[in-house]
Amino acid sequence: MSRTQRFLIVGAAALLACAAVAAADPVTIRYTLWDSNQLPAYQKVADNFMAKNPGIKIEISQLQWSDYWNDLQTSMVAGTAADVFTDHLAKYPEFAAKGQLLDIEPMVKADRVPTNIYLTGLADLWTRDGKRFGLPKDWDTIAVIYNKAMAAQAGITDKDMNSMTWNPDNGGTFETVLRKLAQDKDGNNGLSPSFDPKNVVRWGIAMDYSNFGAYGQQYWSSFAASTGWKFTDGMYARSYHYDDPRFIKTIQYFADLSRTKGLMTPYEALSAQNVGSTVLFTSQKIGMVLDGSWMIGFYGGQTEFKVGFARLPVGPVGRRSMFNGLADSIYVKTTHPREAWQWVKYLGSAAAQNVVGSYGAVFPAIESGVQAALRTYKERGLDVSAFTAQALEKNGTFLFPITDHASEINSIMQEAFDSVFLGKASAADALPAANQKVDALFQ
Amino acid sequence: MKRSPLARILFWVAVTLIAAVTLFPFYWTVRTALTLPRGVYAHPTAFLPPELTLGNFERVLGLVDSATSVRLGGSGQSINFFIFLRNSIIVSTLITVGQTFFSAAAAYAFARLRFPLRRQVFGLYISALMVPGIVVLIPNFVLVKTIGWLNTYQGIAAPAFLMSPFAVFFLRQFFLGLNRELEEAARVEGAGRVRIFFQIAIPLSMTALTTLAVITFIYSWNDYLWPLLVGRNEAVRMLTVALGVFRQQGAQNVPDWAGLMAGTTLAIVPTLVLFLALGRRVINSIGFTGFR
Amino acid sequence: MTTAAGRSEKLGRASVRLHESGVALLFILPSLAGFVVFFVVPAVRGLYISFTDWNLLTPPRPVGIANYAALLRDRDFWNALKVTVFYVLWNIPLQTVLAVAVALVMNAAARSSLLKGVILLPWLMPNVVVALLWLWLLDPTIGLINVAVKALGGPLLPFLSSPGMALSTIAGINIWRYLGYTALLVFSGLQAIPTEVYEAARIDGSNDHQTFWRVTLPLLRPVLAFVVVTSVLGSFQIFDTVAVTTKGGPINATKVFNYMIYQQAFERFQMGYATAVSMVLFLILVGVGLLQMKLLRAGEVET
Repeated sequence: MSRTQRFLIVGAAALLACAAVAAADPVTIRYTLWDSNQLPAYQKVADNFMAKNPGIKIEISQLQWSDYWNDLQTSMVAGTAADVFTDHLAKYPEFAAKGQLLDIEPMVKADRVPTNIYLTGLADLWTRDGKRFGLPKDWDTIAVIYNKAMAAQAGITDKDMNSMTWNPDNGGTFETVLRKLAQDKDGNNGLSPSFDPKNVVRWGIAMDYSNFGAYGQQYWSSFAASTGWKFTDGMYARSYHYDDPRFIKTIQYFADLSRTKGLMTPYEALSAQNVGSTVLFTSQKIGMVLDGSWMIGFYGGQTEFKVGFARLPVGPVGRRSMFNGLADSIYVKTTHPREAWQWVKYLGSAAAQNVVGSYGAVFPAIESGVQAALRTYKERGLDVSAFTAQALEKNGTFLFPITDHASEINSIMQEAFDSVFLGKASAADALPAANQKVDALFQ
Repeated sequence: MKRSPLARILFWVAVTLIAAVTLFPFYWTVRTALTLPRGVYAHPTAFLPPELTLGNFERVLGLVDSATSVRLGGSGQSINFFIFLRNSIIVSTLITVGQTFFSAAAAYAFARLRFPLRRQVFGLYISALMVPGIVVLIPNFVLVKTIGWLNTYQGIAAPAFLMSPFAVFFLRQFFLGLNRELEEAARVEGAGRVRIFFQIAIPLSMTALTTLAVITFIYSWNDYLWPLLVGRNEAVRMLTVALGVFRQQGAQNVPDWAGLMAGTTLAIVPTLVLFLALGRRVINSIGFTGFR
Repeated sequence: MTTAAGRSEKLGRASVRLHESGVALLFILPSLAGFVVFFVVPAVRGLYISFTDWNLLTPPRPVGIANYAALLRDRDFWNALKVTVFYVLWNIPLQTVLAVAVALVMNAAARSSLLKGVILLPWLMPNVVVALLWLWLLDPTIGLINVAVKALGGPLLPFLSSPGMALSTIAGINIWRYLGYTALLVFSGLQAIPTEVYEAARIDGSNDHQTFWRVTLPLLRPVLAFVVVTSVLGSFQIFDTVAVTTKGGPINATKVFNYMIYQQAFERFQMGYATAVSMVLFLILVGVGLLQMKLLRAGEVET
């Protein structure tokens, strides 16, 4: 063998070795989420992904809700945020406006990723001015959750529960149901003329006042929207409609429900943070509660009585539920944008969402994932059609309002709601003033 | 000391009251820790748990798999309790040793040594107690990241290791109150300041030093925000931060009360043991007047 | 005080000073280094940031004194000031008096380390867990306290759900948490008082009551000063309990300084403004600290 040949062979071997080493070095993508209930599901998804993509390693970490955002924001400041992170509709506009999120629209177009496979409206929520900041991964709706035994004892059938009507004037059959469930300390229920609203030991329903924020997702939003009222005129609107008479009437209705009629737990009788209506429900101090589909697992497994999921009451224009959903965003300063995109693309695909659905912790954004979830819930003996029917009903949902200044709006409205539900102001006085402050933010 | 009967009664009433008010919430913690989550939610006010279970402790210690954990009422996750315990012990010990020693040296200087600007520098130290945490949080985080100490023990310990205004303040007050005669005697005999510090001042202040060490250990054990941000990785995450897995998992969820209480019960044990062990030492220096 | 030692010290002061400076530097250097790196530098940077508009994620933009002007007009700021001051007034006097009382009890039970352990238990719990635990116990409907009060025929006590009661309830929770620790500090001061002093007082005919006020308390002054100063400073900076229980509500009744600052920085991305408020808080605390030190004559020592 000539020297040149030997040289070439050795050189080629070296090159091959280098290539092999380079190919063998996996890229690590850091992924974060906050819900520990979903961790097993996403670990499985990651395992599947890694099997298909040997060059990429997914490292999942989880922090509970408030720690999650503290950590995310601080690490964004230092430039060390995770490559891919679970994002929330109320938070992403700020991050996007401050240039922290990678626009994935070019990659969606280049890889021809279909965006019409998700439940209607979800994909658009994550876009602004032609840019896209996430692919939908799950959704939630609101429904009525009630204590079956207590309802039966009070003479309320499942059919009654599922066909309640409501209006802000007399409360419809919704109020009748509440009256049947409520009990004062002498045992009178709310229908009895001797019912004492000041000495109630069991209420019909409770709402977590300090958690209302600006949107009251699982509290009053369904009722307000069922009057035909809308929060804003569209995504990224620059004004709100909290001064609309229909909204004021709705809020005043619920304020009266708790403060004068004695059918809803009053402000002073519950701690809304961390305890609140959920524990009142499980300890049978209230008969029903409105809550989101993310709580299905909890209510299904953590109560000592059978729980039913019923349709929302029919309001003046029908049934309405807020439609919320999560997506995964890519951090703009990620050092591996291509691999991060592969992971996000996979998370937004049916392959991943079917797995997530089968773990029964959440409803994925793709129809097949929803079917998987429904099968799992059925195995657990839970009829969750109240949630899914609402999502699939025409005009059954309205989108979570997305605008700038979410945090300030939350503070302003929370203060207004606090004073109304503490009985310190009427809705007609507090809400228009608050709406003015909200609109002023956009000047 | 002879005590009047009235004083004796008052004493026992006081002790009972203190014990009751202090211990009742702990009873509640342990009672909740031993209750099935379902029982916690259904009977929030029951004095005795309707159904005792060790399931919560099993979940906290990571002794059960995912499926069993869900069946026992928790989320699918279990935590690596012993790793987090180890991390907490390492970091807290590191901080305690460093902070106590260096702060004692500085405090002694402020209390006993004369040097220009002594008052002003001490005043500056105390002013650090008045700086709201958030002002230093982010710059310190960026600094630690720049040094490359994120997700390391030294990164978590760094800000507290060399000093704490509290510790310096505390020990200085103590040194000020110490009887000077022994030190003066040693000075007259020609001993240097450093020798006096190690051979006289420190032994005389064992009570205060031990107290401070215990306080520092417990404080760093329970510190939350800084270890959360700097010690993200499981390899260095501290126990208190890890207990966050039992808190609300969403904006509008409820905490896993039973798991949280079980985790808390276990997390207190090491600090309690430390305190009981060293507490005896504090007591044994009763009556030591530091003179002759 | 002119003892022989004092006089000779005066004479040799100049040379002593020089020598001692070197030794002093040796003693102080490590903590000074930590202090400069982890306090001074960030604080100075913070001062700079307070004159800018910074949303944490894009470069800061200098705006002169706009932040400071804004906070004077901000209703939230004045509310935070009022709320925080009230909180301190609720918390400190009560906690200090109780701490001294408990320390005296500990002193009398000196042989029992059990009592000491029991008293300190609340402080062993992480802040966040304490807040959650009390949130549960104080719940107006399903909390044990209210159930007991109701059983005894009393009214509903909203505790954290009432704008009127929330702040004092938070003070109560914090007293529960920190009492043992504060008492322990006072106790260590009590322990340092030589027993001869008590004997001398007794020989002089002083009874327990007089001894306490005329002998014990004055000798405790440095420790008490320390306890009060650090407690006040700590109280002004309360955060965890509020963040977990009331999030500043109801109707801003518990929106203390640190929570307001946190909201501005982490939720509204107004780091410049948040830092300006922090600087004002810092100045308030310096003022308060100095005032206290003067009033309590913390620098002096009784002999």
